[in-house]
Formats: sequence, structure tokens, C-alpha cells
Amino acid sequence: MAESSARRTAIFGIVATAAVASLCAALPWLGVSAYLRTLLYYGAYYLALGQAWNLMSGLTGYVSFAHGALAGIGAYAVVIAMNAGLPLWLSLLCAAAATALASLVIGLTSLRLRGTAFTFATLFFQELVLLIVRKLPFVGGPGGIVLEEILPAWLPYLLMLGVAAGATMLLLVIRRTRTGLRILALKDDEAAANAAGINATRLKLILFCVSAAIAGATGAVHGLFASSLFPNVVFAVDLSIVALAVPLIGGAGTASGPVVGALLYVVIREVLQVIAPGMHLTIVGLVLLVVILFLRDGVVVALARAIRHRRALPPALAIGPEPR
Amino acid sequence: MTLALQLIANGLVVGGLLCLVALGLALIFGVMRVVNFAHGEFVTLGAFATYLLVANLHVSPLLGIPLAFALGAVAGAVVQRAIIARTTGRPELDVLMTTYALSIVALGAFSQAFGGDFRSYAEGPSGTLTLSGVTIGWRSLTVLLVCLALGGATVLIMRRARIGIALRALAQNRDAAASCGIDVQRSELFAFSLSVGLAAAAGSLVSLIGTVTPYVGHEWVLDAFVVVVLGGMGSITGAMIAAILLGLVHSVASFVLDDSWAKIVAYLLLYAVLLVRPQGLLGKADG
Repeated sequence: MAESSARRTAIFGIVATAAVASLCAALPWLGVSAYLRTLLYYGAYYLALGQAWNLMSGLTGYVSFAHGALAGIGAYAVVIAMNAGLPLWLSLLCAAAATALASLVIGLTSLRLRGTAFTFATLFFQELVLLIVRKLPFVGGPGGIVLEEILPAWLPYLLMLGVAAGATMLLLVIRRTRTGLRILALKDDEAAANAAGINATRLKLILFCVSAAIAGATGAVHGLFASSLFPNVVFAVDLSIVALAVPLIGGAGTASGPVVGALLYVVIREVLQVIAPGMHLTIVGLVLLVVILFLRDGVVVALARAIRHRRALPPALAIGPEPR
Repeated sequence: MTLALQLIANGLVVGGLLCLVALGLALIFGVMRVVNFAHGEFVTLGAFATYLLVANLHVSPLLGIPLAFALGAVAGAVVQRAIIARTTGRPELDVLMTTYALSIVALGAFSQAFGGDFRSYAEGPSGTLTLSGVTIGWRSLTVLLVCLALGGATVLIMRRARIGIALRALAQNRDAAASCGIDVQRSELFAFSLSVGLAAAAGSLVSLIGTVTPYVGHEWVLDAFVVVVLGGMGSITGAMIAAILLGLVHSVASFVLDDSWAKIVAYLLLYAVLLVRPQGLLGKADG
């Protein structure tokens, strides 16, 4: 019973994701304002990045501080590939592959170890990439690079919706697979998982590579959207903060959490731009702090718990089994 | 020969400061298993406190060092009681994210309050001292001496004082230490307070030999994290050795190449250490 209801939830989630993504994709042709389209674009951008982080850090508990930098590598790779004359699809593929490759610097050195080594490796990666990119002449050094081809505005919009929807579906599906079970075992008790025959190091490495590839693809699409890349902007720590704030606010480790988180984040960002333009970082940090300390499973779970709690209060009215 | 001595002298100043910043990180990690990502922002706090004191009252910046230490100790105690203590016993992810969020909040607040300007002051020791061809500024020498004094005092506390012994017992085995009657909460409060005090004092010294910006502590703390991992997580002796080592590497690399390359070299060194000797120089190998 529980098995089939879980499958139904997953299928419902995939259908809902596809429906919402198609609706958003159709909006520009239904006469929606450019402002709303930009908001939706950024929502999808943050969602895609958040899901990439969620796939690794949300599912395993290994915190990455480098997903913004990984996205930056994707952005640089796609612009370099496009300027070299490669077709769009191949450039995007190259960007994802290049990012996955770069992520091996972190993965191969630190994922054999348990605990905080991975987090440190990502922390330094964030700084290292900026320092190196500023030193490399063929990527423009401190001055950055510009995409030579001019693309229609709807193209990055549709691509970003696709990446965000795809990443969300992957999160919905992965929990139902054998790999998902292995990840769950790893998160609960890595030593026990190892003893049960799960190759934890390989699993973490593959998961992080896929997560990096998604971050790279996200960054690549945003590189097409932004078209001029400056290293100090592309590799600023802000994007890495967004990548972890979005899932944590909504609920890390779930497929729906980042969706809610991304929506909330876009709203917070827009409101702050009007009322307190300079306080963006501080407020995001405060929200994060409150969520971690008091709503530790994120807004979605906290809300669901509050609703369930209210329903459960009068026992005489409770009908049927308690929803789990 | 003179050049080598000069590079060593420069390296010792950077190494001494790194040591002071890393000491606090290693202390908290050893005792509480907390990685304090907000440590750098306390360095910034000390730097701005000293800068504001000197710029407004025109007193010697040397006065700022004990003041910054006291300010840091109080701030550390408040943060530990109000925030960090809430995360005790929760998953590692929660603790990491709590200190990271704190760091974001503080970084944003400093940026908002002070903007991106580079600030410095002319008060305090000035001029240089030349000893057998090696030139060292009086300011740098002050930094080195204060680092030695504070580092030495901390080591002495950890080795001899009752609270130091209690902290080492907690680092070895928390439950056993608690059942021996060690007041865990009070000891943790002391450790955090001392650690942040050291960070703020380091910030005060940073303002003496460099410029003060909202990001100054963030830059120092990254190198301090390299030091802590290099020395072996939580090992205070390891951190001190690694700090001097990294200071020397930094000094040579900035002379031969430039400042950015010195940082790149430091980070690459860290990945190499993770690959070859993941437990660090003096760390114990465990999972």
C-alpha cells in the first residue's frame, strides 16, 4: 500500500512538474510582461542550481560551498565553446562535461574521507577557480569574455525551464531507485552502508559529478542569458550561497523543497531590492539562520507539520489512519 | 643569504598572524567539533574596532589589541550562548550551516556599514629596523611579538591551567570528561570566548600592517582553514607548525611569483595534502 502510494506521489510530482514547466514555457507567447518573464527565469535559474546542490548535499549531508563556482565554470565553458564555433547543443554538453571534470578536483581529493574534508575542499575550490581564471589569458583574465553570437531572449528562458524541470524530476525519481536507497543508507550511517557492501566513495563521487554537471548546465544556460562574463561576478560567493539557501529554506533532501525555496527566494530578492538594496546578503543569512535553528526541515515540512498538528488536535474528528 | 633571511622574516610575520587565527579554529574544533565559518568575521570585527578607535580618538593602535580581544571574547560568549549552543547534538550539516549563515550575516553587515573602501591609519609604531641586512618594519615586529605572547599564553593555558586541562579532556572524550565532573557548558563557553578573542586580537594586528576592508577577515580565515586542515583538524600544535610553514610558503611564493599565485599554491598544497595525508601533519587517522 505504502509502496504504491509513494509511486503515485512520484508520478504525480513528475506530471505536475512537466505541467508547470510547459505552462511557464508558454507564458511569453500569452502576452505576459517581460518583467514577469525575467522573474520566472530567475526562479528557474535558482531552482536548477538549488536542485543540483540538493542532489549532492541535500541527499547525502555533505555540504558544498562551491556550486556557484561550478556554475561559473559551466558559463565560461559554454561561451568559449560557442565562440569557437560549436553548435549550441554541443556547447551545452561540453559545459556540463567540463564542470563534471573540474568537480573531480574536489571529489577525488576529499570524498574518500568522511566528514568536513569535502566541505573544506569546496570552500577552497570557490576561491581557487576565481584566482586561476583571473590568471588565464585565453579566458580573458580579469576583464572577462563576451559571447559573440546574439541569441533570441526566449532561448535561454526555455532552456533554463528545461534544466530546472529536469533536475526536479531527477530528484523525484532518484529516491525511488536502488541508487536512492543506497544514498539513504549512506546518509543514515556511512560505516554501516560500507559494511553492507555499498561502495560509499564511488557513490558519493558519481553523485557529486552528476550534481556538478547539472550546476554546469545551469551556469551554461545563464552564460547564454548574461552573454558577458566577468570573473569577479561569475565566481562571486553569492551564487554558492543561493545554491544552498534555496533548498535549505524550502527543505533540503526533498524534491519539492527547492521549488518553494526558489519562489520564496525570488520574492525576497525583489522585495529587498525595493526596500533595502544593500542588505540583501544580511537578510538572506538571517533567514537561513532562522530556518536552520527553528524550522530545521525547511518551510515545506514545517508547514505540513503545522497543518497536520491542527488537524490532529480534536481526536473525535480524526477519520481513517493518520497520514504519514 | 640575506634574501633568504629576509623571506623568512616576512614569512614569520604572516605565519604568526595565521597561527593566531588558526589557533582559535583548532581549539573550537578540537573541543566542540564545531567548524566556525564565522571566525573570519570576528577578525574583521577586531580590525574595524581598532581602526575606529585609532581614527576617532587618535590613540596608539597598540591600545586596540587588548580592547579588540575583550570585545571579541564578549561577542564570542554571546554568540556561543545564543546560537551555537542550540546546535549541540544536531547533525553536522546543521552546525556547519549555522556558522556559515552567521558569517554571511556579519559579512553583509560589515559591507553595508563600511562599503568597499580600503582603510588604514598612520598612528602607532613606524620606521624599520635593519639587522645584518634584514629589514623589518617596527609594525611587523610588533605583530610578531604580540603573536608570540598571545600564542604562548594560549599554549600555557592549555597545558597548565585547570580550564586548559578540562578542555583537553573534553577534546579527548566528551562523555568521559563530563562524567568526571567537568562542567561542559562552562568549558565550551570559555573555549569559544577565548577563540573569538584571539581572532579579534589578530584582526587588530591585521589593521596594523594592512588595510581594513569588510572582506579582510574572510581572506585571512581561508588561509587559516588551510592551516587547520594541514596541521590536522583540531590539533593545536599541528596548526602552529602548519601556520609557520604556510607563512614561509606564502612569503617565498609572493616573492618569486605574486600574491595571487601564493594563494593558488597554498590551496593546491591543501588538495595535495588531502590526497596524500588526509589526516594532516599531526592529526590522528580516523575514518
